[in-house]
Amino acid sequence: MSVKIEVGAGGIPHNRILIYGLVGSLVLIYLTYLNTYFQTEYFAFFGGLAAVAALIWGTDTIKHLCSYGLGTGVPSAGMIALGSGVIAALFGATTGIFAPIVTIVIAAIIGAVAGIMANHVVRMDIPVMIVSLIELAIVGAMTVLGLAAMACGTFEFLGMITGTVSFLGFTVQTYETSVIGGSIIAVIFMLGAIAIQHSFNACLGPGEQQDRTLMLAAECGFLSMIPVAIISFAFIGTYAALVALVISIVGWFYTYRKYIVLSKRDAYAWLDAKPILEPKGGA
Amino acid sequence: MEEIVFGIGITALAGALATVAGAAEDTESDIGSQGDPNSQVQLAPQMGYIHRIFNKAVAGEPPAYGLWVALGAGLAWAFMAMQINPILAIVLGSALAVFVQGVYATTAYLGRTASLAKFGQPVYIDILKSMTTVTMAHAFVAIFTTVAMCHLIISALGHPFPLPLLGLVWGIALGAAGSATGNPFYGKERQYQEQKFGAGVPISASGNIVRYAEAGQRNSLDNGFFSAKLGGPASGICFGLIVFFELWRTVVFEELNIWGPIVVGVVVILIFAIIDRYIEVWARKNFGPYTAPEEASS
Repeated sequence: MSVKIEVGAGGIPHNRILIYGLVGSLVLIYLTYLNTYFQTEYFAFFGGLAAVAALIWGTDTIKHLCSYGLGTGVPSAGMIALGSGVIAALFGATTGIFAPIVTIVIAAIIGAVAGIMANHVVRMDIPVMIVSLIELAIVGAMTVLGLAAMACGTFEFLGMITGTVSFLGFTVQTYETSVIGGSIIAVIFMLGAIAIQHSFNACLGPGEQQDRTLMLAAECGFLSMIPVAIISFAFIGTYAALVALVISIVGWFYTYRKYIVLSKRDAYAWLDAKPILEPKGGA
Repeated sequence: MEEIVFGIGITALAGALATVAGAAEDTESDIGSQGDPNSQVQLAPQMGYIHRIFNKAVAGEPPAYGLWVALGAGLAWAFMAMQINPILAIVLGSALAVFVQGVYATTAYLGRTASLAKFGQPVYIDILKSMTTVTMAHAFVAIFTTVAMCHLIISALGHPFPLPLLGLVWGIALGAAGSATGNPFYGKERQYQEQKFGAGVPISASGNIVRYAEAGQRNSLDNGFFSAKLGGPASGICFGLIVFFELWRTVVFEELNIWGPIVVGVVVILIFAIIDRYIEVWARKNFGPYTAPEEASS
């Protein structure tokens, strides 16, 4: 059974958010390449910011897709986005400096196949399904690539499958302690999958407002950055990871406060320890 | 032989941890009205029933617990990679995962409630303050025990998966066990005590959830007491049995034949299917088929 979900009208047009999200995440993910260029690790946090930009765009896409009456389908949309995305991101990562661009192309192809299957084989017949699944696959791929780059400091495959371990004072390179070898990619997958669907899932209803939903999307992105920054202590230098952690916490705190202010603005009333306000005329 | 005895000991310990995890998980999700009770809590204000029930819809329980446990396991893995003691690493990882869970819970409640402004549902801040912390405490127990169980499976039984991946798998299983076993107790019985027992939820009663308690107004902590009594232990037994039988069949029968555990798994499923069918038939016979009431009384 599907329930019609009402969404707020107005706000920034979706196509503008699409362009900002796509270009923003692409540019930000390429900024992590400064690590390779300057032989340092301090620019890893740009990967997380790329994920935030992608998640804001993805949230708006989910809002458009799910307004076609996919009530319980909101979390599923997040899963298919990251599921398509993680394949594209891992394939793209093997192509060196072209990784982000190849990732976008592969993700678009996977998303299109999934969309055609959903509309023509499963016969869901939702007009925006194919476009939305293409967008969601790209968003998922950029989120995975961004957060993985944040964890290990590079978006290149070799960096994701090699980690170092100290053994009797010697530093040895192993596969087991890498982002992929240690399955940190699974954590990133779940972080992205919940973050991408949560904002619209949490804000849906007749009083949904675009600015509040998108603020929550940014909050979810920064919140996902915090554990990735903590995990990155295992892969990159302490100070570089500390920079990423501080940026994540500051960004999260700012967006969380903003979100609470926006919720207060939209709420019917903001009560503390008050009884049930029965509506006039009784229930 | 000694190895098998050791393996069975670890299996029993993992099963015990899983039982605690299942009980805590179901209590946590019911206090937050997550999973299938959520639809009626969400619907109630739209039908004119303003309530003081916590409504934290993060996702379905399996994906949500997939994240919490995978995150706890991933952070614990990273701390262990930094040469921190495993026990401390698991505690720290679970604590940080619970922080993420708590933030998600607050944003879900604020978002859902603010979007229902049209129906006059206010945001009750005291609910946020008192109930988020309770769900976080239960979530900590669930995450810690599940991650500890995964660590046992890897370090003592030699499972080849890395900790975060095993955490993801068992986290989803934990959420599924709690969602399938525990929620019906709360969702169908506790929320709908104003309807006759066994009446189901007719359309006209949609959203008419229990909002007032024996004294005063009911909030989700009262539902926590109820869940801790019935739904939680049921979920705990469910998840504990899943973990126990899953490990037991491998530990005991892998030595005999590589196909042994698979055959035993199929046999266990068949036995449980027969037991379930027997209980269902027994319950139908004893409590009778659902019949239309002779006269409408409400």
